[in-house]
Amino acid sequence: MNHVDPAGSEKKAEATVQNTAQKTVQQIAVKQLPVTETEQGWIGWLFFTDLFTALRLTLKYMFSKSVTMQYPDKEKWQPYSRFRGHHFLKKDEKGNTKCVACELCAKICPSKCIEVVPYEDENGNRHPEVFNIDLGRCLYCGLCEDACPVDAIAMGSDYEFAAYNSQDLLVHKEKLLTMPGKTETGGKVIAASLSDDAKTAVASEPEHAYHWWNLIHRKS
Amino acid sequence: MSDLMAAGMILFHVVIVIVILLIMPIPLTWAERKVAGHIQQRLGPMRVGWHGLLQPIADVVKLIGKEDIIPDQADRLIFKIAPIITLVPPFAVFVAIPFADNLYLSNMNVGLLYVLAVGGLEIYGVIFGGWASNSKYALLGSMRTCAQLISYEIPMGFAVIGVMMLSQSMNLSDIVNAQADTWNIVYQPLGFFVFFTAGLAEAQRIPFDLAEAEGDLGAGYHTEYSGMRFSFFMISEYLVMLTISVLCVILFFGGWHGFLVPLPPLLWFSIKVAFFVYLFMWIRFTFPRYRYDQLMSIGWKVLFPLSLANVLVTGLFMI
Repeated sequence: MNHVDPAGSEKKAEATVQNTAQKTVQQIAVKQLPVTETEQGWIGWLFFTDLFTALRLTLKYMFSKSVTMQYPDKEKWQPYSRFRGHHFLKKDEKGNTKCVACELCAKICPSKCIEVVPYEDENGNRHPEVFNIDLGRCLYCGLCEDACPVDAIAMGSDYEFAAYNSQDLLVHKEKLLTMPGKTETGGKVIAASLSDDAKTAVASEPEHAYHWWNLIHRKS
Repeated sequence: MSDLMAAGMILFHVVIVIVILLIMPIPLTWAERKVAGHIQQRLGPMRVGWHGLLQPIADVVKLIGKEDIIPDQADRLIFKIAPIITLVPPFAVFVAIPFADNLYLSNMNVGLLYVLAVGGLEIYGVIFGGWASNSKYALLGSMRTCAQLISYEIPMGFAVIGVMMLSQSMNLSDIVNAQADTWNIVYQPLGFFVFFTAGLAEAQRIPFDLAEAEGDLGAGYHTEYSGMRFSFFMISEYLVMLTISVLCVILFFGGWHGFLVPLPPLLWFSIKVAFFVYLFMWIRFTFPRYRYDQLMSIGWKVLFPLSLANVLVTGLFMI
């Protein structure tokens, strides 16, 4: 008996494991409850309450506010201050470029899209003679921003610089100095208009600013 | 001379009704897209005109400008006349519709029968279109439509019998006048349910739009059509939706009779019809499409017995 017992119990254990496995499979397969046990019950089933629940839900959606952002002619998205958009070069109080042409940004750039050529003025201060960024190659990682020892280069809020020609994506120092900086009150939908002169969306005062995701209707 | 005058007046009225009906799909498509947008928390058309009001006009211009393609292997004659055959019945139905007291084109004493019979003719255009296109999707779509319309015409007809028994007439004006005090919906809720559901199927709207199930059939019977011929099918679809709404109002919701608020009869009628049209759109963007076997079993196993039971119960109550 002693010799047989352990083997028998093992087999029994295996069988129970198999049984439980089969049971769970069966339980998973039989999902559909009889009508009487569902939330709606017999009366609800008879009068199609599930259909009316669905209709009530869509009616709620119908009269909730739309989440559409009418980009670019009426509204546009103003990104958060941490957003990494088009690069810009900062100026000091005197209006000169802060950049000292140390080329650290060009060194750290993983896609090697920054080209800096330094020059030295009569006082021995370094300035960038050439400061080119190839936006077509930039991957907007923000490492140049972190590497800069004098806080001269940063990534601003502008994201509307699509071009027909990859040559147009090569921006120079003059343009980088005029690009918009980081936003103070970002993360909003703001009023916008299409101006024919600039051919881009020009943001006006954020009168109609709102957080569009608050409008997403969720079933509580 | 007076005969000529009378004929002229009838012709004039007919032209007015036709023009109004031809214009109707324009606001209806706009409304449908707006309802679709807002139910999905979008805005719908916004750019052409105020809140996209002129969008349907732009669509019409686009459709007129499109090339009229006839497939190489198509049966050209039938392919060309199919949209016209689909378009005519919804217009013809409105001959017998009383819009308000003494405001109708023809006060037929078998108006109800006429409406159901002429409305059913639309199926010929669908079958012709699907057959003549010589395309598998079009043919499948039209075969489905054929089976669907035949199945649902029966419960629809039986659902109407209850109304007929209550008002003792098949004249649509008499049916409306019989509802002056209480609307038929009070006595015939089941009849209305069956009629409306069958109407959804007759208008080939979701959840019964298997005829043009865009997911599995391209566009169903009008897959091969383009330009104005395609738009004929679309106009017809919207007009059938309008017809079903009008019939719901006339048969079950007291036609032009208002309640509580005294408004002009025609306005009351329009408000009720507009509500039903909205209901059609609302349902379209709420429910998924039924499978084909489900469609058939709903028609034959649910609606058909229900409509028979409705006739029986109505008869028992009348005795």
